[in-house]
Formats: sequence, C-alpha cells, structure tokens
Amino acid sequence: MLSVNAFSLSLGDKTLIKDLSFEIADGQVLSIMGPSGIGKSSLLHFLSGSLSANLTTTGEAFLNDEALHTKATQDRKVGLLQQMPLLFPHMSITENLMFAIPADIHKQERINMAQNALEKLGIPDKANALPKELSGGQQARVALLRTLLSKPDYLLLDEPFSKLDPALRRDVRAFVLNEIRQANIPALLVTHDPEDAKAMEGECLELGVME
Amino acid sequence: MPLKHAKWITGTISLLLVFPVAVGLIGTLLPAFAYFPPLGEYNLSFTPWYNLFAQGEFYASLKLTLITGIAAPLLALWFALSLLAWGYQRPFFQKIEALLSPILAIPHAAIAIGLLFLLSPSGWLVRLFSPWLTGFDRPPNWITVQDPYGVSLILALVIKEMPYLLFVMLATMRSIKARESLQVGQALGYSRFTLWRKVLIPQLYPIIRLPIFIVVAFSLTVVDLALVIGPNTPSTLAVTLLRWFNDPDLSMRLMASAGAISLMLIIVAVLAGWEVAHLSFSKLSRAERSNGKRFGLTDNLLRLGVVLGLLALLNAFVALALLPIWSLTRRWRFPDALPSQWTWDNIERATPLLMDLTLNTLTIALIATLMACVISLVMLETKRHSSKVSSLSKPHVFDWLIYVPILLPQIGFLFGLHVLLIYLNLNGDLCAIIALHLMYVLPYVYLTLKGPYLAYQEEYLLQANRLNHRPWRNYLVVKIAMLKPAIFTAFAIGFSVSIAQYLPTLIAGEGRYSTLTTEAVAQAASGDRKQVGSMAMLQAFFPIMVFWLAQFIPPRWTRWRLVLKNLFSRRNTSCSV
Repeated sequence: MLSVNAFSLSLGDKTLIKDLSFEIADGQVLSIMGPSGIGKSSLLHFLSGSLSANLTTTGEAFLNDEALHTKATQDRKVGLLQQMPLLFPHMSITENLMFAIPADIHKQERINMAQNALEKLGIPDKANALPKELSGGQQARVALLRTLLSKPDYLLLDEPFSKLDPALRRDVRAFVLNEIRQANIPALLVTHDPEDAKAMEGECLELGVME
Repeated sequence: MPLKHAKWITGTISLLLVFPVAVGLIGTLLPAFAYFPPLGEYNLSFTPWYNLFAQGEFYASLKLTLITGIAAPLLALWFALSLLAWGYQRPFFQKIEALLSPILAIPHAAIAIGLLFLLSPSGWLVRLFSPWLTGFDRPPNWITVQDPYGVSLILALVIKEMPYLLFVMLATMRSIKARESLQVGQALGYSRFTLWRKVLIPQLYPIIRLPIFIVVAFSLTVVDLALVIGPNTPSTLAVTLLRWFNDPDLSMRLMASAGAISLMLIIVAVLAGWEVAHLSFSKLSRAERSNGKRFGLTDNLLRLGVVLGLLALLNAFVALALLPIWSLTRRWRFPDALPSQWTWDNIERATPLLMDLTLNTLTIALIATLMACVISLVMLETKRHSSKVSSLSKPHVFDWLIYVPILLPQIGFLFGLHVLLIYLNLNGDLCAIIALHLMYVLPYVYLTLKGPYLAYQEEYLLQANRLNHRPWRNYLVVKIAMLKPAIFTAFAIGFSVSIAQYLPTLIAGEGRYSTLTTEAVAQAASGDRKQVGSMAMLQAFFPIMVFWLAQFIPPRWTRWRLVLKNLFSRRNTSCSV
C-alpha cells in the first residue's frame, strides 16, 4: 500500500497543490488528472525522489507504513514509466530486459525471465532485435515489462500512453493493468486523458487550478 | 558520471588549464624585459625591445606576417561562404561535404609538402604543360613556391582553413533555420546568392566569430606551414622568431621573447581591426539588405568565390595524390607527367626510420588523445552538474579558458614553458611532449564533444539508475555507449591535431624524439622528394584512417557486438549439451 499524507507543492510563492492525501492498495491503479502545469509530474518526482531544486514540497509518503520521502532515490525501489519508452537503443531487447533484472539472480534464471517476458509479449523471435525494429506499441510494452522485471515496490506512470496511436492505446492499457495486478504493487498514473483513467478501473483524482 | 565534489574538480581543472598558460606567458614576458636568470640576466630593462626595433628583419617579417595572416583568412572565409551559398542542400554538394573531414584530418605539413610537389618550378603542374605547351625541357627559373610575397603560403593556408570554416558553418545551418529562410526568400523571388548575402550570412557571422578568430590567429602565427612553403629571408615573423630562439647566441632569446610578445599584441590588434571592419561593413550594407532588389551585382563576388574555392579544393587533392606517387618513384625525369619507373625501394630503404617515427608519432597521439577524451568527459560532466544548479546555457569557466592555448601563438609561449621543463628536469622527456600535445588536443576534443554530450537525453541514464542502481557501470554502458559516435569523432579530431603538432614536439622533445611531422618538415627543403613523400604520406594516412574508422565503426558496433555475443553463447550451449 502506497499512501501520501498532506502533500503540498509550491513554486516560488505560488501554491500548486495543497494538502493532497490518498492511498493506493496493492494491485490497484490510482489516476490523477488535471491540466498541464498543475504539478502532476512534480508529484511523481516527489515520490521517485528526483524533484528539481526550485520546487518546495511538504508532506509525507509511506510504503506499507515505511517512510519513503526520507529515503534516497536508489533506496526506494521505484519503477517509473514515461511517455518515451527509453529503451536503450544500443542494446538488444533481451539485453534491455536483462539490464533490469537484479544481479543477484542466477544467470540462467535471468535468461529464462527475459525469455518469459518476450513470450508474454508474443515476440520471442525479437530477442536479438534492436528497439528501433519494434513498433511503438511493442516498445511501450517492453518498457513496462523491463520496469517490472526490476522488481519495484511501487510503480509511477507518467502519461505512458500519450505517444501511442489511439488504436493501440486500448491494448496497451489493458496489458499494463493486467501486469500491475499480477505484480501486485500499487501504481499511480498521471494523465490528461479521461479514457486512460477509466481503463485503469480504479479511483480517479482530479486536480484543479488553485485560486 | 556520478561525480562528487564538482566544485573541487572545476577548480583543479581550471588551475591545470591556467597553469601552463600563465607559466608560458610569464616565461615570455620576463625575458622580453631582460629578466632571464638562466642567462644571469636579473635587471629589468627595455634593451630587448630596442634590439628588436633596430632589426630590419623584424619589419620585413612583420609585413609578410600581416599580408599572409590577413589575406589567408579573408580568402578562406570568402571561398567557404561562396561554396556554402552555392551548394547548400544540393545533392552533389553532399559529396564535397563528405570530402571535408579527410582534408581537415590531414596535417597541414603534409598538404604543404604536396603543394610543394605540385607548384614548384619542377612540380607536377609545370610538368603537365611541358614541353608541349611551355617548351621547357628543364625546370624554369621561376619562383613559384616560397615566393617573397607569401602567395604560396597563403594558398596553403586557404586550403587548410577553408574546409574548416565550411565544416563549422555547416554545423550552424540548422540553428539559423537556413533551409526555411531560403524557401521563404525564394518564394519572394530572391536569387539564391542574394538571399545568402542579405539574410543568411549576416546571421551566420556572429555564430562563427570564434572559429574565424582561431583561423586568423593560426594564420598569423603558423610555423610548420611557413617553414615548408613560406618565404625565407625574410620569413614570416613566427619563423624568424623560431630562428632567433634557436640561435646559438643565447642572448638572442631576449629579443626573440620581445618579438613573441609583439606577435601576441599583433594578434589582438588584427582581431580588433577585423571586428571594426566587420562592424562598419555590416553598417554600410544594412540599407542595401532591405532595398528589395532580388538580384545584385555583388552576387558575382560569391560566384567568383565558388570557382576559386573549387580550384583550391582541386589543388589540395592533386597535392595529396602526389605524395604516394613520389614515394613510389624510381625515375621521374623533368618534363614527364608521370614517373617512368616505379619501385617500393624508397619505402623499403626508409622503413627503419619510418617505423621509428611512426612509433613515436602514434604513441604520443594515442596517449594524448585518450587523456584528452577522459579529461573532456570529466569537464563536461562537471559543467552539466554546475549548470543544473545555476542557470542553463550560462557559459562555464571552461568554455573560454579552453580557447586560450589555441589563440596564443605557439612561438614564444612554448619557449617560456620550455624553461619550466628545464627546471623540472623534464626537458626532452616523452611525458613532456605528451603534456604539451595534450594542451593543444584537449580544446578540440572538448569542443567537439560539448554539443552532443550536453544534448544527451539524461532520462536514459536516470531510467537506467532506477532499474538497477550501479551508477558508474550505468554511466559507461548506457551514457558513454550511447555517445559512442560523438566520442569516436572527438577522438579522431584530437588524434589528427596531435599528429599535426610540430613546435610542441620539437620544443619539449629537444630533438630527442622525432615524429613524422617534425622529420617531414625538417627534410622538406632537402629535395629528397622520395623520402619526404613517404613521410608526408604516412603523416596523412593515419589521421584519414582514424577518421574513417570513427565514421565506420559506431553505426555497426552494436550489430557486430550482438553477432559476436550470439556466436559465443551458441558455442557455450553446444558445449554444455
């Protein structure tokens, strides 16, 4: 369970978000909507620990009652998925997946895990392909599986569907939701698109402009 | 790079950059005022300056330096702008663009030697037209190279500088939106050349001001080119100073130092004059830009520039082709257009010497360039760190410090450093040569890497660190690996800069270490064209090879790596089965 307590965000003397609190259960996706510039992405950065210096925040975040906001990024075990799939262009698909699998797992097991992921994607023949040889939808799915293979404790999704073809979006959304449920971790989705929020079958928070 | 203590690193590197420059300057300035402890001179005075101004040779050399140092960059700029205006975005021009980097890579001494083979009275050009047109059956008694006005030196400088300026200009085309401007302008009925004159060149100039300054400073101070193809007695000021510095009468050093200081002042004065000229020129032409005329007579200036520029390029290629021909020649009597007998003997005979020179050259170039690459990466990473904290795009202390060694004249400055080397007991040491090369290689590597490195999408590295937290490893296998093309190119440029160095090798090595460049320049005047041709050819070969590899390897790297990896993993599985 991921919980955020009384989160406030301000840029200079302008308050963007005030006293936001929510909880996300394991395997659930909470969607956050709102116009751009409202601080949605900054909330994600707060949770992933990569907030830029000119923003001031207050509030707390807990993962299963353990404080998150006091930890350094590398100790948080956070998965982040963005608009760009950010697959490493100079590594094959298998290498991209293996990159994320924790190093303490035995080598043969790591290879099997990557192979399973490829089969789940229906592209076992693309193991040695480079990311650019995959379609946009395939890249998005590989990026999600790569993030999940790093065994994150919670997942942050920053408009991961916005760069996809409308026709593809539905499939990818369903795939994402299914994988999150299987991984059984809390996930937070930030989006512009009400369809995204609806497809995640979870709660939806709408952030408005502060007067 | 998971750097800590960015401030400390910035400070240390800045000091390391400033230190040799300061020592070199002080080491030139003090002797210029007669303070030179190694010779027992402790009393500050103006005597070196009186001596300098009493030398007739100083004025003659100065005149030559001003003629060649101003004419060459002007012509190079004119030709480069004309070629760009004529060919930009045309398919055949892309072929010329592809030829630019090899010319850029070739050490200027090799080009000068090729030009010597082409243009001298017994050179290929006269042979080509003899005896059927000229009637000569022996070389004419003309002075075509090393002429007293420095025309051949100007030509050599133009051939070296025009491709560089063209290269720099092509890199700025996107930022001034050249293609879009041309489309808009041509839709308004403007001719191509007029558009370049009125719209694009005025925008282009401020961006390439610094590269132009580098070219001007280089033209005013070049030594090796001037030794090979420049006038002698009197020679250009830089060459005259070199002779004074090397004079057995050590007290000449004081006068030479005063000369070196005046050369620095001349650079400043010429650059200032250049800027004033540009300002008044752009003021005068401002009204003309918006007079609405779609064509103009001055367009012909650009047309003429195209023809001359192409001729200069052709010259360069023929000159380069002559290097291997001479090194394979057994017998080549005067009016023949080609050797009558060919042989490998020249190369075979010279092999022990060539091997020795090549070994020195490559050792120095590889070590200096590798160091420059690593230092550049550290510098750029600290720059990225500090610009993240303060504002973006603010020029970092490195960005102007790095230019200082390129803008200062090597002559004088390096002799000042030499005194330090003697104190440190490093004179004639390979380490000292590498250190001096590094000083000249580093700026080019840094400047080449800067754009791509700072434009890198840091998100890839951040994502990598979220997926597995091994920052150093991720920096290497993700960021550096993705920047491979830029790093390879920077390496190639640094390598070619090192290969071309003449004075740093000569001064730090004190003649104990010869490279292909120092030996080729030393023997250029000897007349043994077969041997000089072999050296100059090798001198040109390595940089071209490295440039070609730098273009060839990066796009294929990943494919090759995966093929190799699959070969091995297949072998492994078949073994285990």
